[in-house]
Amino acid sequence: MKHHIQSQVMNKQTDIEGLIRKTRQYEYVDGLRDLQMAAIMAFFVVFAWFFFTLTGVRWYLRLILFLKGTFGSWAPWIDGLLFLLIIFSVLGGSLWLMRAMRRKWLWQKSGWVKPLRWQVPRRVSVLSVVIVLGGIGLAIALFVTNRVEASFILRMLWVATGWAFGYTLVGVGREIGLKRYIWLGAVGGIASTVLLFLPLTFGQVAIILYGAWALALGISGAIVLRRVLAKTNQVNHGG
Amino acid sequence: MADELKEITNFDRLIHAPSRLAIMAVLSACESADFTFLLNATGLSKGNLSAHLSKLRDAGYVRITKSFRGNYPHTTCSLTTEGRHAFDDYRKQYLAFAKQLQKQG
Repeated sequence: MKHHIQSQVMNKQTDIEGLIRKTRQYEYVDGLRDLQMAAIMAFFVVFAWFFFTLTGVRWYLRLILFLKGTFGSWAPWIDGLLFLLIIFSVLGGSLWLMRAMRRKWLWQKSGWVKPLRWQVPRRVSVLSVVIVLGGIGLAIALFVTNRVEASFILRMLWVATGWAFGYTLVGVGREIGLKRYIWLGAVGGIASTVLLFLPLTFGQVAIILYGAWALALGISGAIVLRRVLAKTNQVNHGG
Repeated sequence: MADELKEITNFDRLIHAPSRLAIMAVLSACESADFTFLLNATGLSKGNLSAHLSKLRDAGYVRITKSFRGNYPHTTCSLTTEGRHAFDDYRKQYLAFAKQLQKQG
């Protein structure tokens, strides 16, 4: 009797946990989330190029002068508006595209799910902040004890965000049982460290870091999406 | 043994039924899910799913929203705050129970 109850409970436990995991994974199994994150990272690359490199700043100044010539005293407002418009286009546009693709092809037969608002466990979010602050603290401590030069602190600002993002991916991957996020996060986070020891400027580190994340997430998302689309086509054509 | 049986009787009966448990588990892992997803995830028939959803809605655990997507009706289900609490309690209770059994086994 006892073993019967135990086995029933254990079976149910597997079912519940399995269903919860599968439902939470649903948002990520088609690779579109990876592609959306890649788009955001690519946006950061452009942002870093514009504001943290000499060539970018020159272009930015040209834009400001053009706006000043065209709109006069309205130029700062137009500049801010343009900036916000680009951010919302990247964020909103990628979300819209993702939903449209899912509605039309990917989720048409398997059903629609609105994911939980907070996919990242609170413990992971808190630790990510600790990682960033810890990294900066470590860089300052090394600088104060004359072990590194001042630019190391600036490079650390970006590298620590790379560690934190990697850790967040690992945390989400472990939480919902997605191995590719665990791999991406671990490899990306560790690889970010290399940038600390290269003779790069603040802007270059940002561009390389976010560019690498965009590339990694883009490749990961594209591979998964390709596989899912092939499967969906097969199902739609009765294969 | 008696304690274990007592523990089982303390479970929320409405959630404890396997089909409803599956529905609650799926809905607990998202903000909302549509009828098609619930059908696929739980493996229930349309009639069964409808009946169980109605029971859960009547108990105040599930919110059902009917709308149209294009020309097609679209049913979306989500857990109410009460439903989320009830499922969390059930899950905690039953994980503790399973752990206890494992220890004894």
